[in-house]
Amino acid sequence: MTLENDLKRALRREAPAPGFANRVMERIARQQAPPHRPMWWRAAAASVTLAAILGGYATHKVVEHRRGEHAKEQVLMAMRIAGEKVAYAQQEVRAIGTSD
Amino acid sequence: MTAIVPEAIEFPAALTRAQAGDHDAFAELVERHESMVYGLAYHFFNDRSRAEEVAQDVFLQLYRNLRTIETESHLLFWLRQVTTRRCIDVARRSRLKAVSLEDAGELRAFDRPADPFLDRRLKKLLQELPDVQRAVVTLRYQEDLDPSEICRIVGMPVNTVKSHLHRALQALRRKLEKHS
Repeated sequence: MTLENDLKRALRREAPAPGFANRVMERIARQQAPPHRPMWWRAAAASVTLAAILGGYATHKVVEHRRGEHAKEQVLMAMRIAGEKVAYAQQEVRAIGTSD
Repeated sequence: MTAIVPEAIEFPAALTRAQAGDHDAFAELVERHESMVYGLAYHFFNDRSRAEEVAQDVFLQLYRNLRTIETESHLLFWLRQVTTRRCIDVARRSRLKAVSLEDAGELRAFDRPADPFLDRRLKKLLQELPDVQRAVVTLRYQEDLDPSEICRIVGMPVNTVKSHLHRALQALRRKLEKHS
């Protein structure tokens, strides 16, 4: 029984060094913080982003240009058809005049 | 008339707030249980820096598993179980046997026991016991747990725990007599 009492006394709860909870919270905060990227990594990421933006803009311009060309061709074709119709009508009118 | 408010009434609030992401509440939980967790690790290793490391790891693990904790008693059980198992794992991995004399003798001024020499000797003799016996003795005498509670923490049949305790006490008695 004496040994058991001695053990109870010797094995009492022990407090850690002061500031233990703060040290735990700091470790939690460190694990939650986003990883620190080196300068070259950030520069590379910025370059890739810029290239993507410029590439997108260039593609947009090409597509717009092609649409414009297509619309222009359609307008010219419409004018040509309309011109042919007008010429045909004039021809018919002239034919009526000569037959009189 | 003074109302006696048991600690258990106050506790679930901190647990619930911590589970909701309140860091101050989690720090409160750490402060509340640090001496239990640190004490188990310290008595197991008799090494303050190793105990600090293990105790911090246990609370980090608690932070990650906070949502699985249901009640105050579950939290206590969880902390005791994770601390004990981590101590045994760390000891098995590193086979840590060397004990710093400085650590072995360090005691806080406000916590000075009646016979510091006997306490120091018991702590050193405890280090000579096998890992599981050391864990069982620490849970029995630091946490004042019965073998039926210890068996759930270490995951062994109750009779095995009783046998470990019996053998550990016998060994300690023998070593004490031999040294005296």
